[in-house]
Amino acid sequence: MIFNITHTTQYEYNAPVSYCHNIATLRPRISKGQELLDYKIDISPEPSELSERIDFFGNYITRFSIQTRHTVLKVETKSKVVRDYARYHESFYTDACKGVSLIGALEALKNNDTEVLEAKQFVLESIFIRRTDDAIKKYAEISFKGNRSVFDATYELMQRIYTDFDFVSGFTSISTPIDEVMKEKKGVCQDFAQIAIACIRSIGLPARYVSGYIETLPPEGEEKLVGADASHAWFSIYIPTFGWVDFDPTNNQIPLDQHIVVGWGRDYYDVPPLKGVVYGSGKSKLKVAVDIARLE
Amino acid sequence: MISTAWLNNYFTDYKYDEMFTPEMEVKSHWKKLFTSLNDLGQEGLKSRQKDIDWLLGENGVTYNVYNDPKGLHRPWNLNVVPFILHESEWKVVEDGLKQRAELLNLVLKDVYGERKLIKDGIVPHEVIYGHRGFLRQCSGIKYTTDKLLAMYAADISRGSDGRLWVVNDRTEAPSGMGYTSENRSTTSRILPEMFAKMNVKRLSSFFQDFNQMLVDASPENKENPNIVILTPGSHNETYFEHAYLASFLGYPLVQGNDLVVRDGFLWMKSLQGLKQVDVVLRRVDDVYVDPLELREDSHLGVAGLLDVVRRNNVAVINPVGSGVIENPGLIPFMPAIAKYFLNEELIIPQIASWWCGQEKERNYVLNNLSNLVIKRIDRTNRESIHFGDFLNSEEIEKLKTEINERPYRFVAQEKISFSTAPNLANGKFEPRNMVARAFSIATKDGYSVMPGGLVRVAPDRDTLRVSNQRGGTSKDFWILEDKPSEETKTQYWHPKASVSASGLNDLPSLTAENLYWAGRYVGRTLVNARFLRMVLRQMALMQNNTKKPDSVKLQVLFKAVTELTGTYPGFAKKNSKGTYAMDNPYKEMLSVILDKNRVGSLANTINMFSNSYYSIRNLWSSDMWRVFENIQKTWRNFEEDTDRSINKIIKVLNQLITRLIAFMGLIEESIMVQQGLLLYFIGLQLEQSTLTITKCKSLLTLKYEEQVEYDLLEYLLTSQESLNIYRYSYRSYIQIEHVLDLIMLDLEYPRSLTFMLNRIQKDIAKLPHSKGINHLTDYQKFVFEAFSKLRLANSIDLNGTNENDILRKKLDILLEELSNLLFKTSQSISTTYFDHTYKQNQLVTQSFPI
Repeated sequence: MIFNITHTTQYEYNAPVSYCHNIATLRPRISKGQELLDYKIDISPEPSELSERIDFFGNYITRFSIQTRHTVLKVETKSKVVRDYARYHESFYTDACKGVSLIGALEALKNNDTEVLEAKQFVLESIFIRRTDDAIKKYAEISFKGNRSVFDATYELMQRIYTDFDFVSGFTSISTPIDEVMKEKKGVCQDFAQIAIACIRSIGLPARYVSGYIETLPPEGEEKLVGADASHAWFSIYIPTFGWVDFDPTNNQIPLDQHIVVGWGRDYYDVPPLKGVVYGSGKSKLKVAVDIARLE
Repeated sequence: MISTAWLNNYFTDYKYDEMFTPEMEVKSHWKKLFTSLNDLGQEGLKSRQKDIDWLLGENGVTYNVYNDPKGLHRPWNLNVVPFILHESEWKVVEDGLKQRAELLNLVLKDVYGERKLIKDGIVPHEVIYGHRGFLRQCSGIKYTTDKLLAMYAADISRGSDGRLWVVNDRTEAPSGMGYTSENRSTTSRILPEMFAKMNVKRLSSFFQDFNQMLVDASPENKENPNIVILTPGSHNETYFEHAYLASFLGYPLVQGNDLVVRDGFLWMKSLQGLKQVDVVLRRVDDVYVDPLELREDSHLGVAGLLDVVRRNNVAVINPVGSGVIENPGLIPFMPAIAKYFLNEELIIPQIASWWCGQEKERNYVLNNLSNLVIKRIDRTNRESIHFGDFLNSEEIEKLKTEINERPYRFVAQEKISFSTAPNLANGKFEPRNMVARAFSIATKDGYSVMPGGLVRVAPDRDTLRVSNQRGGTSKDFWILEDKPSEETKTQYWHPKASVSASGLNDLPSLTAENLYWAGRYVGRTLVNARFLRMVLRQMALMQNNTKKPDSVKLQVLFKAVTELTGTYPGFAKKNSKGTYAMDNPYKEMLSVILDKNRVGSLANTINMFSNSYYSIRNLWSSDMWRVFENIQKTWRNFEEDTDRSINKIIKVLNQLITRLIAFMGLIEESIMVQQGLLLYFIGLQLEQSTLTITKCKSLLTLKYEEQVEYDLLEYLLTSQESLNIYRYSYRSYIQIEHVLDLIMLDLEYPRSLTFMLNRIQKDIAKLPHSKGINHLTDYQKFVFEAFSKLRLANSIDLNGTNENDILRKKLDILLEELSNLLFKTSQSISTTYFDHTYKQNQLVTQSFPI
């Protein structure tokens, strides 16, 4: 499937900003079952400098500064992406994946070959997922058990988060601690992803945070609205000897082609779509619009 | 033989003493020193110790203790007895530290580069990836210098085998070099005879290397790069040292606010404008240096710095990210690392450490907790160090749980019994546990190790821990040579003047701002103290000051107190609770003088004055420090005193005023105009002018009956210290026209408003942005307008009122206009030169709709 994605982020300031420095993680990375055909970023006002680099996790990071006085900052990206992830779907149900038990997985992680070593860093604590209380571990242990398949356990964990947690936007912010989300059982996609990651790590398995987009389909018989799609986040677990498998607890499904990967890291902190430091005295208002058009 | 009366009971139990054998024999390399100390005798030594304390106090050497009830700026302690090592022993340590510095340099390069140590299984990944100091943002940065680790400090201590061991690595922003240098210059002055005859290795060539390292770090290989020292500010525990190094090396001391990133370069905001910075010697921990990429809540750094580093447009020393090798988790793997990189054995032994990320080691640790010291790999601060034998069973269990939860974050170390060194304490020698910090600097072909270092000893006999935060003391550290070498003969090294040449234009804007406010606060303190003293003198003539005064003149005076100090509602009107200060003037006056939490009170103003001075510590002379201390002491004693009689307060204010005047005199002769004294003068004159205007408004704009009017005029003249001048100039009964002439309109009299504005006019013309040939800047216009208004006024008009009106309207309007113009002047100077109008804000991060 080929998608044209337009992602617009706009900050309106109520007092002029004299200059700002920003970092954007918006260019979709190449990943399993995904290719990038075209990408363009437009920033207004015109940045005084703009550079791109690849970060520690392999994501594309754009760094820019604006030195002209402005009251509106607009960042628009257009990406053309081919998604062909659905074809891997079957492989998750083979013995190579489904057959890996928790005991087997933990044993396999003792290995230090490049792939395992690379994955193991995602067991460690991260900026937003620090030491968590027992509630997380207990919640995880309901699904993860010694001889049980890691894949099955993760699938169940995803389902349980989907059922137990309420999607309430505005209840949490990026600084809401995991423990509180766990207690209140409310949040948005990034909270659910991070809860799942915290659970998996508490068991001793590697899990990472995936930032991206999801194509939404209008209810039957209705026209799709432009800009109705959204930024999205889910998680990926490393199943030793098999590889990484994505899960989306917000939608209770294994991502297929409608999920488009932008980047991944240990948690949200590593891959915020846009962040920055602005010099000015006012407050800002944020508008985000994502539009995903299916080409074929 | 040695008279040992004052050595009795030196040991309560012998461990390992640096100077004495268990039989109380003096070890051979200590003999010379011991004989000299003994010759001085108990009294001689005590008096030298006093000299040291005095000299350190004199030079304002302090160490800030966080949350210290005694307040900031605790005096630095240096014991008169130095610590010594013979060069033969030192040579081994030196070689060991050079090797260790190089190894850590290679580790640092590797973990931010290829990470072969992890890939090849030399270091477990958790030791690096699990360390909060591993900054993934720094991965892959290419540097222009050969050595990544520019500065390295090691804490060394003598282990049970009698050898010196490394117990801690300090790689981020190691402190102590400034104190070491200050210790050396103090002991060499107080013990000159010993110092001279003992062939002590000098520190000068090390500081030369240090300076050269900073110069060479400049990415463009500039001959005279712009180097700045970045400090978190005057509340930091080692701020003295930041200021000391800045003035010793001759580089500007800056805070995050002084710097800005533009066009991919780092700039310092100076009075003239932006000036490119090539090298930053940072004393700010690395996670705080860039709120864009690192800690977002930091106001100690500068947004975008890391990207400038990435572009090789600035060098940061030590590089951002070097905190990761300040990592006791690495210690167990150092022998393997030495093999891996250099195929060598470690020359200097290190403290035995067990990293809990390994099963066998973890089990050992869990079974032996009470004999070990437990640390986190990435937090070597005091709170997270646990001494097993001090923990109760509940704490042990809690620690065990924590270790089991995240074993890779913990390291256990052997509890070493430090060796002891003799200290002069309680009038005699006593052994103290000691630890020494040694410093290394990257040079063209390796590392240069300071011949000496900072020795710290425990506060008392039985304390195992050595920490400045806990009130330990320090020692000078002498490396003795058998024969004096060239190096021992060299005198102190002084940085070349050309490196430090910086004029008013290059003054960091924060320093400029502090000087400006220092001027304003010293002016405010002086004017207010004088006015309050005058009011108190009037009160002293009254029988009862705890009821509303009958006389109009006193009521006017009290209201003037409120207006001058800005402590509303005060005497001006009832407060929100319905009580009126005028009903008990004594109580209100006490509060206006002593309540330090009340904005505008004298105590509060003195506090602001002290803060502004402390933040420009690097510009001070030692005389200034002494007088400043005196001012503080006067005030502290007064605060502790129970005598609150009016006469007592007057006496204190007298002392305060005299010392303030002495202090102001010293400022004028100690700080150079290029260092920013101009800003101080502008602040001072603006403040004094503003307060003169307020006083005139309070006392002169309303007409009263003749006797009251006469008294008020006299009060005004007294508070301005102008009564004698008036009598000398006019030789007459006090009349308002003459007073207006003298206090407001006189062009020649230094306390008159016109004189002060004229002076401000001349001073601001020297500021970098003032041109004045074709047009004036805003602040120049405001002052010019105010000055002209005064020149065009005359006292007869100003004294006039409309018929039946008690308001001197013209005077009132003029004063109001002047007050506004001066306010605008101050604002304009601030926005032109201090540039803190733009606040740093984080963009609100994206919320997720799905």
